[in-house]
Amino acid sequence: MNNMLELRINGFGGQGSVTLAHLLAQAALENGNQGQALPFFGVERRGAPVRAAVRMSPTAIHAHSQCERPDYVVVMSEKLTEAAISEGITDIGTVIINAPHAVAVKSHATWQVDADTIAREAGLISADGPFINIPLFGAVCRVLDIPQNIMEQTILNKWPGNNGERNLGAAGKAYNTVTRINK
Amino acid sequence: MKTAQVIMDTGARAAALAVKSARVDVVPGYPITPQTSIMEAMAAMVENGEMHARFIPVEGEHSAMAAAVAASAAGARVFTATSANGLLYMHEVLHMASGGRLPVVMCNVNRGIFAPWTLWADHQDSFAQRDTGWIQYHCSSNQEVYNTILQAFRVAEQINIPVMVNFDGFAISHCLMPLTLPPQEDIDRFLPPHEPEWRLDPAQPSSFSNVTNASEYAPFRQMLSDDIMASIPLVKQAAQEYKDITGMWDGDTIDTYRLEDAEVVALAVNSMAAELRLSIDILRQQGIKAGLLRPRLVLPFPAEDIINALPQNAQVMVLDRNYNFGHPGGILASELKSVLFGRRNDITVKNRVMGIGGIDLTRTYMATEIRAMLDD
Repeated sequence: MNNMLELRINGFGGQGSVTLAHLLAQAALENGNQGQALPFFGVERRGAPVRAAVRMSPTAIHAHSQCERPDYVVVMSEKLTEAAISEGITDIGTVIINAPHAVAVKSHATWQVDADTIAREAGLISADGPFINIPLFGAVCRVLDIPQNIMEQTILNKWPGNNGERNLGAAGKAYNTVTRINK
Repeated sequence: MKTAQVIMDTGARAAALAVKSARVDVVPGYPITPQTSIMEAMAAMVENGEMHARFIPVEGEHSAMAAAVAASAAGARVFTATSANGLLYMHEVLHMASGGRLPVVMCNVNRGIFAPWTLWADHQDSFAQRDTGWIQYHCSSNQEVYNTILQAFRVAEQINIPVMVNFDGFAISHCLMPLTLPPQEDIDRFLPPHEPEWRLDPAQPSSFSNVTNASEYAPFRQMLSDDIMASIPLVKQAAQEYKDITGMWDGDTIDTYRLEDAEVVALAVNSMAAELRLSIDILRQQGIKAGLLRPRLVLPFPAEDIINALPQNAQVMVLDRNYNFGHPGGILASELKSVLFGRRNDITVKNRVMGIGGIDLTRTYMATEIRAMLDD
Protein backbone atom coordinates (compact mmCIF):
# COMPACT_ATOMS: atom_id res chain seq x y z
CA MET A 1 0.00 0.00 0.00
CA ASN A 2 1.54 3.31 -1.11
CA ASN A 3 -1.20 5.82 -0.42
CA MET A 4 -4.22 6.23 1.80
CA LEU A 5 -7.11 4.07 0.65
CA GLU A 6 -10.69 5.16 1.35
CA LEU A 7 -13.76 2.98 1.50
CA ARG A 8 -17.43 3.68 2.21
CA ILE A 9 -19.94 1.16 3.45
CA ASN A 10 -23.57 1.76 2.46
CA GLY A 11 -26.13 -0.40 4.24
CA PHE A 12 -29.36 -0.48 6.19
CA GLY A 13 -29.51 0.05 9.97
CA GLY A 14 -29.21 -3.35 11.69
CA GLN A 15 -27.01 -4.97 9.01
CA GLY A 16 -23.86 -4.54 11.10
CA SER A 17 -22.08 -1.83 9.15
CA VAL A 18 -20.35 -0.44 12.27
CA THR A 19 -18.82 -3.83 13.13
CA LEU A 20 -17.80 -4.31 9.49
CA ALA A 21 -16.06 -0.91 9.54
CA HIS A 22 -14.30 -1.78 12.82
CA LEU A 23 -13.14 -5.17 11.48
CA LEU A 24 -11.70 -3.59 8.32
CA ALA A 25 -9.80 -0.93 10.31
CA GLN A 26 -8.49 -3.62 12.65
CA ALA A 27 -7.40 -5.77 9.69
CA ALA A 28 -5.44 -2.78 8.35
CA LEU A 29 -3.53 -2.55 11.64
CA GLU A 30 -3.04 -6.34 11.71
CA ASN A 31 -1.64 -6.03 8.17
CA GLY A 32 0.99 -3.48 9.26
CA ASN A 33 -0.86 -0.34 8.20
CA GLN A 34 -2.81 2.38 9.97
CA GLY A 35 -6.59 1.95 10.05
CA GLN A 36 -9.59 4.14 10.77
CA ALA A 37 -13.30 3.35 11.10
CA LEU A 38 -15.60 6.37 11.16
CA PRO A 39 -19.26 5.32 11.10
CA PHE A 40 -21.78 8.08 10.55
CA PHE A 41 -24.13 8.10 13.52
CA GLY A 42 -27.40 9.84 12.86
CA VAL A 43 -30.87 9.51 14.28
CA GLU A 44 -31.44 6.46 12.05
CA ARG A 45 -33.44 3.43 13.04
CA ARG A 46 -33.31 -0.17 12.01
CA GLY A 47 -33.93 -0.38 8.26
CA ALA A 48 -32.94 3.21 7.45
CA PRO A 49 -29.95 3.79 5.11
CA VAL A 50 -26.62 4.11 7.02
CA ARG A 51 -23.02 4.61 6.02
CA ALA A 52 -19.52 4.30 7.45
CA ALA A 53 -16.08 5.48 6.34
CA VAL A 54 -12.99 3.26 6.50
CA ARG A 55 -9.43 4.36 5.79
CA MET A 56 -6.19 2.40 5.49
CA SER A 57 -2.79 3.99 5.08
CA PRO A 58 0.91 3.18 5.43
CA THR A 59 1.32 6.49 7.30
CA ALA A 60 -0.65 8.35 10.00
CA ILE A 61 -4.26 9.13 9.06
CA HIS A 62 -5.27 12.76 9.62
CA ALA A 63 -8.62 12.73 7.78
CA HIS A 64 -11.71 12.91 10.01
CA SER A 65 -14.45 13.51 7.44
CA GLN A 66 -16.76 10.98 5.85
CA CYS A 67 -15.42 9.56 2.56
CA GLU A 68 -17.01 11.69 -0.19
CA ARG A 69 -15.09 10.12 -3.12
CA PRO A 70 -13.81 6.75 -1.87
CA ASP A 71 -11.74 4.24 -3.82
CA TYR A 72 -14.11 1.43 -2.80
CA VAL A 73 -17.84 1.33 -2.08
CA VAL A 74 -19.30 -1.66 -0.21
CA VAL A 75 -23.02 -2.08 -0.88
CA MET A 76 -24.56 -4.24 1.85
CA SER A 77 -27.85 -4.62 0.00
CA GLU A 78 -28.31 -4.71 -3.77
CA LYS A 79 -31.27 -2.34 -3.42
CA LEU A 80 -28.88 0.42 -2.34
CA THR A 81 -26.51 0.17 -5.32
CA GLU A 82 -27.69 3.21 -7.25
CA ALA A 83 -27.99 5.40 -4.15
CA ALA A 84 -24.54 4.32 -2.94
CA ILE A 85 -22.84 5.18 -6.23
CA SER A 86 -24.59 8.54 -6.40
CA GLU A 87 -23.13 9.48 -2.98
CA GLY A 88 -19.70 9.53 -4.65
CA ILE A 89 -16.85 7.28 -5.74
CA THR A 90 -13.61 7.94 -7.65
CA ASP A 91 -13.80 7.49 -11.42
CA ILE A 92 -11.56 4.42 -11.17
CA GLY A 93 -13.25 3.16 -8.00
CA THR A 94 -14.41 -0.38 -7.29
CA VAL A 95 -17.84 -1.51 -6.04
CA ILE A 96 -18.45 -4.61 -3.91
CA ILE A 97 -22.10 -5.68 -3.84
CA ASN A 98 -23.91 -8.20 -1.65
CA ALA A 99 -26.36 -9.90 -4.05
CA PRO A 100 -27.59 -13.46 -4.66
CA HIS A 101 -26.68 -13.27 -8.36
CA ALA A 102 -24.15 -11.56 -10.58
CA VAL A 103 -24.74 -7.79 -10.76
CA ALA A 104 -22.54 -5.12 -12.26
CA VAL A 105 -22.32 -1.35 -12.16
CA LYS A 106 -21.60 -0.32 -15.75
CA SER A 107 -19.39 2.63 -14.85
CA HIS A 108 -17.17 0.85 -12.29
CA ALA A 109 -15.34 -2.38 -11.66
CA THR A 110 -17.74 -4.58 -9.68
CA TRP A 111 -17.34 -7.59 -7.37
CA GLN A 112 -20.29 -9.63 -6.13
CA VAL A 113 -20.69 -11.92 -3.14
CA ASP A 114 -23.77 -13.76 -1.83
CA ALA A 115 -23.30 -12.79 1.82
CA ASP A 116 -26.89 -13.65 2.83
CA THR A 117 -26.64 -17.29 1.73
CA ILE A 118 -23.13 -17.72 3.18
CA ALA A 119 -24.23 -16.31 6.56
CA ARG A 120 -27.41 -18.45 6.64
CA GLU A 121 -25.51 -21.62 5.74
CA ALA A 122 -23.01 -20.91 8.54
CA GLY A 123 -25.88 -20.44 11.02
CA LEU A 124 -25.00 -16.77 11.53
CA ILE A 125 -28.60 -15.63 11.99
CA SER A 126 -30.28 -13.32 14.46
CA ALA A 127 -33.97 -12.49 14.87
CA ASP A 128 -33.43 -9.66 12.35
CA GLY A 129 -31.75 -11.78 9.68
CA PRO A 130 -28.32 -13.10 8.73
CA PHE A 131 -25.07 -11.52 9.99
CA ILE A 132 -23.96 -10.49 6.51
CA ASN A 133 -21.15 -8.28 7.85
CA ILE A 134 -18.99 -11.36 8.57
CA PRO A 135 -18.95 -12.73 4.98
CA LEU A 136 -18.70 -9.17 3.64
CA PHE A 137 -15.58 -8.68 5.76
CA GLY A 138 -14.03 -11.73 4.11
CA ALA A 139 -15.05 -10.56 0.65
CA VAL A 140 -13.68 -7.03 1.11
CA CYS A 141 -10.38 -8.38 2.45
CA ARG A 142 -10.04 -10.49 -0.72
CA VAL A 143 -10.78 -7.52 -3.00
CA LEU A 144 -8.26 -5.36 -1.08
CA ASP A 145 -5.61 -8.13 -1.28
CA ILE A 146 -5.45 -8.45 2.50
CA PRO A 147 -4.03 -11.97 3.10
CA GLN A 148 -6.52 -14.57 4.33
CA ASN A 149 -4.49 -15.28 7.49
CA ILE A 150 -4.64 -11.57 8.45
CA MET A 151 -8.40 -11.64 7.89
CA GLU A 152 -8.69 -14.73 10.09
CA GLN A 153 -6.48 -13.32 12.84
CA THR A 154 -8.59 -10.15 12.96
CA ILE A 155 -11.73 -12.24 13.53
CA LEU A 156 -10.09 -14.39 16.21
CA ASN A 157 -8.82 -11.28 18.02
CA LYS A 158 -12.35 -9.89 18.12
CA TRP A 159 -14.15 -13.15 18.94
CA PRO A 160 -11.91 -15.65 20.71
CA GLY A 161 -13.54 -19.11 21.00
CA ASN A 162 -16.48 -20.78 19.23
CA ASN A 163 -18.04 -17.62 17.77
CA GLY A 164 -14.73 -16.79 16.16
CA GLU A 165 -14.51 -20.27 14.62
CA ARG A 166 -18.02 -20.02 13.14
CA ASN A 167 -17.27 -16.55 11.79
CA LEU A 168 -14.03 -17.82 10.25
CA GLY A 169 -15.92 -20.35 8.12
CA ALA A 170 -18.33 -17.78 6.71
CA ALA A 171 -15.66 -15.13 6.14
CA GLY A 172 -13.38 -17.69 4.48
CA LYS A 173 -16.13 -18.88 2.14
CA ALA A 174 -16.83 -15.29 1.06
CA TYR A 175 -13.08 -14.65 0.70
CA ASN A 176 -12.90 -17.51 -1.79
CA THR A 177 -16.18 -16.99 -3.65
CA VAL A 178 -16.38 -13.22 -4.14
CA THR A 179 -16.36 -12.81 -7.91
CA ARG A 180 -15.20 -10.09 -10.24
CA ILE A 181 -18.10 -9.37 -12.59
CA ASN A 182 -16.75 -6.78 -15.03
CA LYS A 183 -13.62 -4.83 -16.10
CA MET B 1 11.17 -2.48 31.04
CA LYS B 2 7.62 -2.60 29.72
CA THR B 3 6.90 -1.20 26.27
CA ALA B 4 3.92 0.76 24.98
CA GLN B 5 0.91 -1.16 23.73
CA VAL B 6 -0.97 -0.27 20.51
CA ILE B 7 -4.71 -0.96 20.45
CA MET B 8 -7.61 0.08 18.22
CA ASP B 9 -10.19 2.15 20.05
CA THR B 10 -12.50 5.15 19.82
CA GLY B 11 -11.77 8.68 21.03
CA ALA B 12 -14.32 8.32 23.83
CA ARG B 13 -12.66 5.10 25.01
CA ALA B 14 -9.25 6.80 24.70
CA ALA B 15 -10.50 9.42 27.18
CA ALA B 16 -11.72 6.75 29.60
CA LEU B 17 -8.43 4.85 29.37
CA ALA B 18 -6.49 8.05 30.12
CA VAL B 19 -8.66 8.70 33.19
CA LYS B 20 -8.00 5.15 34.36
CA SER B 21 -4.25 5.53 33.88
CA ALA B 22 -4.38 8.87 35.76
CA ARG B 23 -5.62 6.88 38.81
CA VAL B 24 -8.60 9.19 39.30
CA ASP B 25 -10.41 8.85 42.66
CA VAL B 26 -13.91 10.14 41.89
CA VAL B 27 -16.01 10.26 38.69
CA PRO B 28 -19.44 11.93 38.93
CA GLY B 29 -21.30 11.32 35.69
CA TYR B 30 -24.43 12.02 33.74
CA PRO B 31 -24.93 10.80 30.15
CA ILE B 32 -25.40 13.04 27.11
CA THR B 33 -24.75 12.26 23.44
CA PRO B 34 -21.99 12.04 22.20
CA GLN B 35 -20.16 11.96 25.53
CA THR B 36 -22.14 8.99 26.91
CA SER B 37 -19.57 6.44 25.69
CA ILE B 38 -17.02 7.92 28.12
CA MET B 39 -19.31 7.58 31.14
CA GLU B 40 -20.36 4.07 30.07
CA ALA B 41 -16.72 3.04 29.93
CA MET B 42 -15.92 4.69 33.28
CA ALA B 43 -18.90 3.05 35.00
CA ALA B 44 -17.89 -0.37 33.61
CA MET B 45 -14.24 0.04 34.66
CA VAL B 46 -15.26 0.92 38.23
CA GLU B 47 -17.88 -1.86 38.33
CA ASN B 48 -15.51 -4.61 37.16
CA GLY B 49 -12.69 -3.47 39.44
CA GLU B 50 -10.31 -2.36 36.66
CA MET B 51 -10.30 1.07 38.24
CA HIS B 52 -10.34 1.86 41.96
CA ALA B 53 -12.57 4.94 41.96
CA ARG B 54 -15.94 6.06 43.20
CA PHE B 55 -18.45 6.46 40.36
CA ILE B 56 -21.31 8.80 41.35
CA PRO B 57 -24.35 8.67 39.07
CA VAL B 58 -26.22 11.97 39.39
CA GLU B 59 -29.50 13.40 38.08
CA GLY B 60 -28.04 16.12 35.85
CA GLU B 61 -24.93 18.02 34.84
CA HIS B 62 -25.35 20.79 37.41
CA SER B 63 -25.10 18.08 40.08
CA ALA B 64 -22.26 16.32 38.26
CA MET B 65 -20.11 19.45 38.53
CA ALA B 66 -21.30 20.11 42.11
CA ALA B 67 -20.17 16.59 43.07
CA ALA B 68 -16.89 17.14 41.24
CA VAL B 69 -16.33 20.40 43.15
CA ALA B 70 -17.08 18.77 46.51
CA ALA B 71 -14.86 15.73 45.86
CA SER B 72 -12.02 17.95 44.63
CA ALA B 73 -12.33 20.17 47.73
CA ALA B 74 -11.98 17.00 49.81
CA GLY B 75 -8.65 16.37 48.07
CA ALA B 76 -9.67 13.75 45.49
CA ARG B 77 -8.46 13.61 41.89
CA VAL B 78 -11.72 14.14 39.97
CA PHE B 79 -12.89 13.67 36.39
CA THR B 80 -16.22 14.16 34.63
CA ALA B 81 -17.38 14.59 31.04
CA THR B 82 -20.19 16.32 29.20
CA SER B 83 -21.33 17.81 25.88
CA ALA B 84 -23.31 20.78 24.54
CA ASN B 85 -26.36 21.59 26.69
CA GLY B 86 -24.94 19.50 29.52
CA LEU B 87 -21.98 21.88 29.62
CA LEU B 88 -24.32 24.88 29.53
CA TYR B 89 -26.33 23.45 32.43
CA MET B 90 -23.04 23.29 34.44
CA HIS B 91 -22.19 26.91 33.72
CA GLU B 92 -22.79 28.26 37.24
CA VAL B 93 -20.82 25.49 38.92
CA LEU B 94 -17.93 25.84 36.46
CA HIS B 95 -17.28 29.20 38.14
CA MET B 96 -17.33 27.53 41.55
CA ALA B 97 -14.60 25.10 40.42
CA SER B 98 -12.34 27.85 39.05
CA GLY B 99 -13.06 30.44 41.76
CA GLY B 100 -12.61 27.71 44.39
CA ARG B 101 -9.26 26.87 42.73
CA LEU B 102 -10.16 23.20 42.38
CA PRO B 103 -8.12 21.14 39.86
CA VAL B 104 -11.03 19.22 38.29
CA VAL B 105 -10.40 17.84 34.78
CA MET B 106 -13.38 17.50 32.45
CA CYS B 107 -13.82 16.34 28.87
CA ASN B 108 -16.28 18.26 26.79
CA VAL B 109 -17.17 16.32 23.66
CA ASN B 110 -18.05 19.19 21.34
CA ARG B 111 -21.61 19.27 19.99
CA GLY B 112 -23.76 22.08 18.63
CA ILE B 113 -26.19 23.79 21.00
CA PHE B 114 -30.01 23.59 21.20
CA ALA B 115 -32.20 25.17 19.64
CA PRO B 116 -32.87 23.54 17.24
CA TRP B 117 -31.50 20.19 18.42
CA THR B 118 -28.42 18.79 16.76
CA LEU B 119 -26.27 15.81 17.77
CA TRP B 120 -23.14 16.68 15.80
CA ALA B 121 -20.02 18.72 16.35
CA ASP B 122 -19.42 22.42 16.40
CA HIS B 123 -17.57 24.47 18.99
CA GLN B 124 -20.24 26.81 20.33
CA ASP B 125 -20.51 24.81 23.57
CA SER B 126 -16.89 25.11 24.75
CA PHE B 127 -16.39 28.63 23.39
CA ALA B 128 -19.52 29.76 25.27
CA GLN B 129 -17.65 28.85 28.50
CA ARG B 130 -14.70 31.10 27.65
CA ASP B 131 -15.20 33.40 30.64
CA THR B 132 -15.63 30.76 33.37
CA GLY B 133 -11.96 30.76 34.43
CA TRP B 134 -11.19 27.27 33.11
CA ILE B 135 -8.10 26.41 31.10
CA GLN B 136 -9.18 24.89 27.74
CA TYR B 137 -7.36 22.49 25.46
CA HIS B 138 -8.82 21.51 22.05
CA CYS B 139 -7.63 18.17 20.61
CA SER B 140 -7.43 16.94 17.03
CA SER B 141 -6.86 13.17 17.37
CA ASN B 142 -7.74 10.18 19.56
CA GLN B 143 -4.14 9.93 20.73
CA GLU B 144 -4.06 13.61 21.59
CA VAL B 145 -7.19 13.17 23.73
CA TYR B 146 -5.42 10.46 25.71
CA ASN B 147 -2.18 12.42 26.04
CA THR B 148 -3.89 15.71 26.89
CA ILE B 149 -6.00 14.36 29.75
CA LEU B 150 -2.79 13.26 31.52
CA GLN B 151 -1.14 16.63 30.85
CA ALA B 152 -4.31 18.41 32.01
CA PHE B 153 -4.20 16.77 35.44
CA ARG B 154 -0.55 17.81 35.81
CA VAL B 155 -1.24 21.43 34.94
CA ALA B 156 -4.49 21.65 36.93
CA GLU B 157 -2.89 20.33 40.11
CA GLN B 158 0.22 22.50 39.73
CA ILE B 159 -1.73 25.74 39.58
CA ASN B 160 -5.11 24.81 41.12
CA ILE B 161 -7.22 25.70 38.12
CA PRO B 162 -9.73 23.32 36.47
CA VAL B 163 -9.00 22.18 32.91
CA MET B 164 -11.44 21.37 30.11
CA VAL B 165 -10.24 18.95 27.41
CA ASN B 166 -12.36 19.41 24.29
CA PHE B 167 -12.68 17.18 21.23
CA ASP B 168 -15.28 16.70 18.49
CA GLY B 169 -18.30 14.49 18.92
CA PHE B 170 -18.42 11.51 16.52
CA ALA B 171 -15.50 12.64 14.30
CA ILE B 172 -13.20 11.79 17.24
CA SER B 173 -15.42 10.33 19.97
CA HIS B 174 -16.82 7.52 17.77
CA CYS B 175 -13.84 7.17 15.42
CA LEU B 176 -11.85 3.93 15.81
CA MET B 177 -8.10 4.54 15.37
CA PRO B 178 -4.81 3.08 16.62
CA LEU B 179 -4.04 4.24 20.16
CA THR B 180 -0.68 3.92 21.90
CA LEU B 181 -0.89 3.23 25.63
CA PRO B 182 2.38 3.96 27.45
CA PRO B 183 3.32 1.59 30.30
CA GLN B 184 1.54 2.49 33.56
CA GLU B 185 4.88 3.02 35.30
CA ASP B 186 5.68 5.80 32.80
CA ILE B 187 2.30 7.45 33.42
CA ASP B 188 2.88 7.24 37.18
CA ARG B 189 6.27 8.89 36.75
CA PHE B 190 4.71 11.71 34.71
CA LEU B 191 1.69 12.16 36.97
CA PRO B 192 2.45 11.53 40.65
CA PRO B 193 -0.42 11.21 43.18
CA HIS B 194 -2.42 14.39 43.86
CA GLU B 195 -1.19 16.07 47.06
CA PRO B 196 -3.36 19.18 47.57
CA GLU B 197 -1.98 21.99 49.75
CA TRP B 198 -5.36 22.19 51.43
CA ARG B 199 -8.46 20.02 51.67
CA LEU B 200 -11.80 19.87 53.48
CA ASP B 201 -11.25 17.51 56.39
CA PRO B 202 -13.94 16.62 58.97
CA ALA B 203 -11.17 16.10 61.56
CA GLN B 204 -10.10 19.73 61.15
CA PRO B 205 -13.32 21.59 60.33
CA SER B 206 -13.04 24.62 58.05
CA SER B 207 -15.10 26.22 55.32
CA PHE B 208 -14.25 27.78 51.97
CA SER B 209 -15.72 30.11 49.37
CA ASN B 210 -17.48 32.25 51.99
CA VAL B 211 -18.98 35.71 51.50
CA THR B 212 -16.17 38.22 51.02
CA ASN B 213 -15.92 42.00 51.11
CA ALA B 214 -14.90 43.72 47.91
CA SER B 215 -11.40 44.26 49.28
CA GLU B 216 -11.08 40.48 49.72
CA TYR B 217 -13.03 39.42 46.63
CA ALA B 218 -11.08 41.55 44.15
CA PRO B 219 -7.64 40.07 44.97
CA PHE B 220 -9.05 36.52 44.56
CA ARG B 221 -10.28 37.38 41.07
CA GLN B 222 -7.01 39.13 40.17
CA MET B 223 -5.08 36.07 41.34
CA LEU B 224 -7.23 33.77 39.18
CA SER B 225 -6.69 35.98 36.14
CA ASP B 226 -2.93 36.14 36.74
CA ASP B 227 -2.62 32.40 37.35
CA ILE B 228 -4.53 31.50 34.18
CA MET B 229 -1.89 33.49 32.25
CA ALA B 230 0.85 31.85 34.33
CA SER B 231 -0.34 28.39 33.23
CA ILE B 232 1.23 28.78 29.76
CA PRO B 233 4.76 27.75 30.83
CA LEU B 234 3.25 24.85 32.79
CA VAL B 235 1.37 23.66 29.68
CA LYS B 236 4.64 23.73 27.73
CA GLN B 237 6.53 21.96 30.48
CA ALA B 238 3.87 19.24 30.73
CA ALA B 239 3.96 18.64 26.95
CA GLN B 240 7.77 18.48 26.93
CA GLU B 241 8.07 16.14 29.91
CA TYR B 242 5.30 13.91 28.53
CA LYS B 243 7.32 13.72 25.32
CA ASP B 244 10.53 12.95 27.21
CA ILE B 245 8.81 10.04 28.97
CA THR B 246 6.49 8.65 26.26
CA GLY B 247 8.00 9.94 23.01
CA MET B 248 4.61 11.38 21.97
CA TRP B 249 4.08 15.00 20.94
CA ASP B 250 0.94 16.87 19.84
CA GLY B 251 2.42 20.37 20.06
CA ASP B 252 2.37 22.39 23.27
CA THR B 253 0.31 25.57 23.19
CA ILE B 254 0.19 25.39 19.38
CA ASP B 255 0.77 22.77 16.69
CA THR B 256 1.97 23.73 13.20
CA TYR B 257 2.27 22.11 9.76
CA ARG B 258 4.32 23.47 6.82
CA LEU B 259 4.17 26.89 8.48
CA GLU B 260 7.77 28.15 8.16
CA ASP B 261 7.56 29.51 4.60
CA ALA B 262 3.76 29.86 4.43
CA GLU B 263 2.15 32.91 2.83
CA VAL B 264 -1.38 31.65 3.55
CA VAL B 265 -2.00 30.27 7.04
CA ALA B 266 -5.10 28.29 8.01
CA LEU B 267 -6.01 28.61 11.69
CA ALA B 268 -8.53 26.21 13.25
CA VAL B 269 -9.02 23.84 16.18
CA ASN B 270 -10.11 20.22 16.80
CA SER B 271 -10.59 17.48 14.20
CA MET B 272 -11.04 19.91 11.29
CA ALA B 273 -7.47 21.04 11.95
CA ALA B 274 -6.27 17.45 11.42
CA GLU B 275 -8.14 17.22 8.12
CA LEU B 276 -6.69 20.66 7.23
CA ARG B 277 -3.22 19.11 6.92
CA LEU B 278 -4.55 17.37 3.80
CA SER B 279 -6.06 20.65 2.55
CA ILE B 280 -2.65 22.31 3.01
CA ASP B 281 -1.06 19.58 0.86
CA ILE B 282 -3.71 20.14 -1.84
CA LEU B 283 -3.08 23.92 -1.82
CA ARG B 284 0.70 23.39 -1.98
CA GLN B 285 0.19 21.15 -5.04
CA GLN B 286 -1.78 24.02 -6.58
CA GLY B 287 1.17 26.35 -6.01
CA ILE B 288 -0.17 28.18 -2.96
CA LYS B 289 2.33 28.38 -0.10
CA ALA B 290 -0.09 27.26 2.59
CA GLY B 291 0.54 26.26 6.20
CA LEU B 292 -1.41 25.39 9.34
CA LEU B 293 -1.44 26.92 12.81
CA ARG B 294 -3.59 24.99 15.28
CA PRO B 295 -4.03 26.47 18.76
CA ARG B 296 -4.04 23.40 21.02
CA LEU B 297 -4.43 25.64 24.05
CA VAL B 298 -7.35 27.97 23.44
CA LEU B 299 -7.62 29.42 26.95
CA PRO B 300 -5.34 31.09 27.87
CA PHE B 301 -4.96 32.10 24.23
CA PRO B 302 -1.26 31.51 23.39
CA ALA B 303 -0.57 35.04 22.16
CA GLU B 304 3.23 35.07 22.24
CA ASP B 305 3.59 31.68 20.52
CA ILE B 306 1.19 32.71 17.75
CA ILE B 307 2.90 36.08 17.28
CA ASN B 308 6.29 34.36 17.04
CA ALA B 309 5.11 31.55 14.74
CA LEU B 310 3.34 33.56 12.02
CA PRO B 311 5.56 34.20 8.97
CA GLN B 312 6.06 37.80 7.81
CA ASN B 313 3.14 39.30 5.83
CA ALA B 314 1.05 36.13 6.08
CA GLN B 315 -2.67 36.06 5.32
CA VAL B 316 -4.35 34.13 8.13
CA MET B 317 -7.55 32.31 7.16
CA VAL B 318 -9.40 31.64 10.42
CA LEU B 319 -11.90 28.80 10.02
CA ASP B 320 -14.34 29.09 12.92
CA ARG B 321 -16.77 26.28 13.81
CA ASN B 322 -18.77 28.67 16.02
CA TYR B 323 -20.46 32.05 15.86
CA ASN B 324 -19.34 35.21 17.62
CA PHE B 325 -22.87 36.63 17.86
CA GLY B 326 -22.85 40.39 17.51
CA HIS B 327 -19.86 40.21 15.17
CA PRO B 328 -19.82 39.03 11.56
CA GLY B 329 -17.62 35.93 12.05
CA GLY B 330 -16.39 33.50 14.69
CA ILE B 331 -14.72 33.70 18.09
CA LEU B 332 -11.24 32.45 17.12
CA ALA B 333 -10.88 35.28 14.60
CA SER B 334 -11.81 37.80 17.26
CA GLU B 335 -9.28 36.31 19.70
CA LEU B 336 -6.57 36.34 17.05
CA LYS B 337 -7.20 39.96 16.05
CA SER B 338 -7.00 41.13 19.66
CA VAL B 339 -3.61 39.45 19.98
CA LEU B 340 -2.18 40.82 16.73
CA PHE B 341 -3.38 44.41 17.12
CA GLY B 342 -0.39 46.70 17.49
CA ARG B 343 2.04 43.77 17.54
CA ARG B 344 1.91 42.30 14.01
CA ASN B 345 0.52 44.92 11.65
CA ASP B 346 1.97 42.94 8.70
CA ILE B 347 -0.66 40.17 9.16
CA THR B 348 -4.03 40.10 7.36
CA VAL B 349 -6.84 38.20 9.09
CA LYS B 350 -9.75 36.70 7.11
CA ASN B 351 -12.52 34.62 8.60
CA ARG B 352 -15.29 32.18 7.65
CA VAL B 353 -17.69 30.18 9.78
CA MET B 354 -18.17 26.56 8.65
CA GLY B 355 -19.01 23.05 9.80
CA ILE B 356 -21.87 24.17 12.05
CA GLY B 357 -23.92 21.31 13.51
CA GLY B 358 -21.55 18.70 12.10
CA ILE B 359 -21.54 19.68 8.42
CA ASP B 360 -18.78 17.46 7.07
CA LEU B 361 -15.50 19.37 6.59
CA THR B 362 -13.57 17.53 3.90
CA ARG B 363 -10.06 18.32 2.74
CA THR B 364 -11.29 19.45 -0.70
CA TYR B 365 -14.06 21.65 0.74
CA MET B 366 -11.69 23.47 3.09
CA ALA B 367 -9.00 23.86 0.40
CA THR B 368 -11.64 25.39 -1.90
CA GLU B 369 -12.84 27.72 0.87
CA ILE B 370 -9.29 28.90 1.61
CA ARG B 371 -8.70 29.59 -2.10
CA ALA B 372 -11.92 31.58 -2.24
CA MET B 373 -10.88 33.55 0.87
CA LEU B 374 -7.85 34.88 -1.04
CA ASP B 375 -10.37 37.13 -2.83
CA ASP B 376 -12.32 38.13 0.33
